[in-house]
Amino acid sequence: MRPNVVIIGGGIAGMEAAKQLLYLGYSPILIEKTARLGGHVADWYRLFPDMTPASEVIENLKKDIQNANVFLETGVQFINRLRDTYNVMLTNGVSINCHAILFATGYDLFDARKKEEYGYGVYNHVVTNRDLELWFGGNKDVRIPERPKSVGFVHCVGSRDMKAGNMQCSKVCCMTAIKQAIEIKEKFPESEVYCFYMDLRLFGKKYEDFYISAQRDHGVHFIRGRVSEVGENIDGTLQVKAEDTLNGKPLKVSLDMLVLMAGMLCGEKTRELADGVRMDVDTDGFFKSRDNIYNVTESSRNGIFFAGACTGTKTVPETVSEARAAVLSIHNYLQQK
Amino acid sequence: MTDRIASGFHPFVLPFLIGMAFVLSYCLFGMIRIILQLSKEDRRKFFMSLITPKILLKDVKDIFLNCLIHVKLWKRNPVLGYMHSSIAFGWFMLIVLGHIEVILFVPARAKLLYYPIFFNYFVSENETTLRGAVLFFLMDFFLLVVLSGIALAIIKRFRSRLFGMRRTTKPAALDLVGLYSLWAIFPLRLIAESLTADISGGSFLTLPSNWLAHLFMGHELYPLPAWWAYSIALCIFMCVLPFTRYMHIPAEMMLIPMRNAGLKIRNLNKGFAKVEVLSCPGCGVCIDACPMIASRSNVKDCTVYLNRQLRRGNDKRIDQISDKCLLCGKCQAVCQVGVQGPDLRVARRSTRGYGINQDYSNISATPLEKGHKVLYFSGCMSQLTPRIGKAVTAVMDKAGVDYEWMDRDGGLCCGRPILLAGRKEQARQLIAKNTELILASGADTLVVNCPICYRVFREEYNLPGVRVVHHSEFFAELVSKGMLSPQNGIGKICYHDPCELGRGCGVYDAPRELLSRCGTLVKAGHEKELSICCGGSLGSLSLNFSQREAITRNSYADLTVADPDVIATACPLCLSTYSRYADRPVMDIAEILMNQQ
Repeated sequence: MRPNVVIIGGGIAGMEAAKQLLYLGYSPILIEKTARLGGHVADWYRLFPDMTPASEVIENLKKDIQNANVFLETGVQFINRLRDTYNVMLTNGVSINCHAILFATGYDLFDARKKEEYGYGVYNHVVTNRDLELWFGGNKDVRIPERPKSVGFVHCVGSRDMKAGNMQCSKVCCMTAIKQAIEIKEKFPESEVYCFYMDLRLFGKKYEDFYISAQRDHGVHFIRGRVSEVGENIDGTLQVKAEDTLNGKPLKVSLDMLVLMAGMLCGEKTRELADGVRMDVDTDGFFKSRDNIYNVTESSRNGIFFAGACTGTKTVPETVSEARAAVLSIHNYLQQK
Repeated sequence: MTDRIASGFHPFVLPFLIGMAFVLSYCLFGMIRIILQLSKEDRRKFFMSLITPKILLKDVKDIFLNCLIHVKLWKRNPVLGYMHSSIAFGWFMLIVLGHIEVILFVPARAKLLYYPIFFNYFVSENETTLRGAVLFFLMDFFLLVVLSGIALAIIKRFRSRLFGMRRTTKPAALDLVGLYSLWAIFPLRLIAESLTADISGGSFLTLPSNWLAHLFMGHELYPLPAWWAYSIALCIFMCVLPFTRYMHIPAEMMLIPMRNAGLKIRNLNKGFAKVEVLSCPGCGVCIDACPMIASRSNVKDCTVYLNRQLRRGNDKRIDQISDKCLLCGKCQAVCQVGVQGPDLRVARRSTRGYGINQDYSNISATPLEKGHKVLYFSGCMSQLTPRIGKAVTAVMDKAGVDYEWMDRDGGLCCGRPILLAGRKEQARQLIAKNTELILASGADTLVVNCPICYRVFREEYNLPGVRVVHHSEFFAELVSKGMLSPQNGIGKICYHDPCELGRGCGVYDAPRELLSRCGTLVKAGHEKELSICCGGSLGSLSLNFSQREAITRNSYADLTVADPDVIATACPLCLSTYSRYADRPVMDIAEILMNQQ
């Protein structure tokens, strides 16, 4: 009988790890607090850079982990450390003894209502990046006008913002905004699309191509400057005030819809759970790896491992590779025992 | 009672006389200097107040109640109140009774300044003494009162927590000299009077101790060293007094008439401000009151230390302290003397030169639409909290008020933030521009939902024919007129008093009245004038974000002691500050009112 491995979190990191553990002959137990697998990626419609449908990624992963033990709508009540194993108590009353635990708890999307000046939850036509993806995916959303003539994207909402309580860059939003801007342009070719950014961080494969294409092929306007406040006109359109720091001038523009690029935070709930086993939190608010160069997937506690965005913001391919790396770390750890 | 010493003099009175002469002349010259430093208009105001019987009467009453009886302190902390009034009033009575004794028994010596102080040394009892028994008794009684106060003071020095003070000031070296000499004066007086009580007579305190002294020291007592020590202790106290916190004793007697005359702080280093600074008793009540000490730092940035640095002239520290303060005004609210800590700081800020001085006198502003009776001004902060403006207008629509939202698309700043930064000229330009706009509109009511704006509209604007109201007051009126009828049903509400609205403008009841109609009001740990600043205040120029976070969390914890369902406030800045860390909804009173229609 191969040792048990508990995976907390059924997003892409948890699913990929389960898949790899199954390949290696372990019996992974996947715990997911919501009613479905896939995490944040399951809310997304298409993924950059190849516009891969997110559902395709999730469905493939689901097929691959059919033989794993999956507990949906189940949380972790507490984790006890025994001599060389862990006892994980689930909220459904099941108690599991395991040799290794993989945290794949991911991130929380920043609550855009906290940046009240952008009017999320106050004005009728303000949505977040997630809302827009759900709408692309076919969900109804009354906040999105039928034929928007002008759409704005606000970068860094709750990222790199001391007042919002998160100093970190969320890494993927620049690219997501460009992707979504292009998708909006494809749906509504007549519309004007504006991106309000601090600076664009386009580090990944083919990201720069997207940026060029957004400007050259789709005519998206990029304005360097933060939005200061948003007001609502009588007809329900939005009045956005920003500063164009390249022109050095304040700017006022009326928009039919505003999309807020909400950032990524380490979840409060996750941190509470981590407190139970006294796991360290790094200065950026995410979990602390044994070190941030060579042992990113290992915690400072023996038998506890990390994969994905619980140690910092990550893209989908990064998360998937990290899940595989974590499985290899777990495998080595269990072999040595 | 007869004179015992023919010359009516003994060298031991000299230290006392030196001290007395020094302190009196110091105070007299200081007073003249300060009066000369006042602006012409202020000086006229001050002198006029002294010849106006009504104000003069108030001066006397205030000095008696505050300087001698310490009424305010009694209300806040009876033990501290007793401690202070026993020393101040007891000492005062000893001086008064001493004079009465001299006038009654040895009227020929009445012109000698030291006679009432050292009376018991210079007289001896004779057969008529029975007449003085009551006076003797009173003298001993008030000495006992003072001694009990001193005993409390000594306990307080070492165990201030027993008196409800968590933190107290760290005295400067000279303060300690003053303190110890003050402690020494009355026990020495008791010893001196006891040792001469068999000659001069005494009462329940001095006679038994005289008997005790005889028991231990035999027939012959040597009282002179005790009288010398008493006189020297008085001399030391009076000589160091101008340079210690005890300067507040004479200064407050000047502060009260000046304040009653309506003087305001103008120049930090001269005139009235100087009296304010000198009137600080250095008790440190403001330390516990200051919201900035939530993070256990910033203790040395409280008003008591500002006053100390102002006395010392330490410019670097004065600037740091002045810039850091949130200007919430709580130190002034709890201060027994009412030292205007915030105004002193703003006065300091205004002396600073800024690199760039904008000119707003030609700023463009769109004229307002005419014909609306009510103007609504939401202010810059509400632009960042759009739900408030939305709620205020929804409530006014519901009540059928004909209004114009004058800064819907962004208007001019009310001027208060730059005023708090000490930029009076720029503030004046904005105030002039806004005044012009408002008066030209022909409206008769100005509704303001931001207490920061509200305060400047009330204090600095001159708007004849226009009533300025805070939205809480305006809505309370609408409710009482029956134009709004909120439903009770939001659950437990805890109301946070914004500094500028509560302590700043004295509006405490209107918001509570409104909220009690929408739900059940529960109490915060500190309320009304003791409410704790949210930490978001525009007042501070130098507090950084993490320091503010500690203040906000501390203040928020104080609001949730009764586990309310909703935190209510009436200020957009408090709202956005709390929302950042809140674990339950934080709402403006307008929002609550809108939801409960």
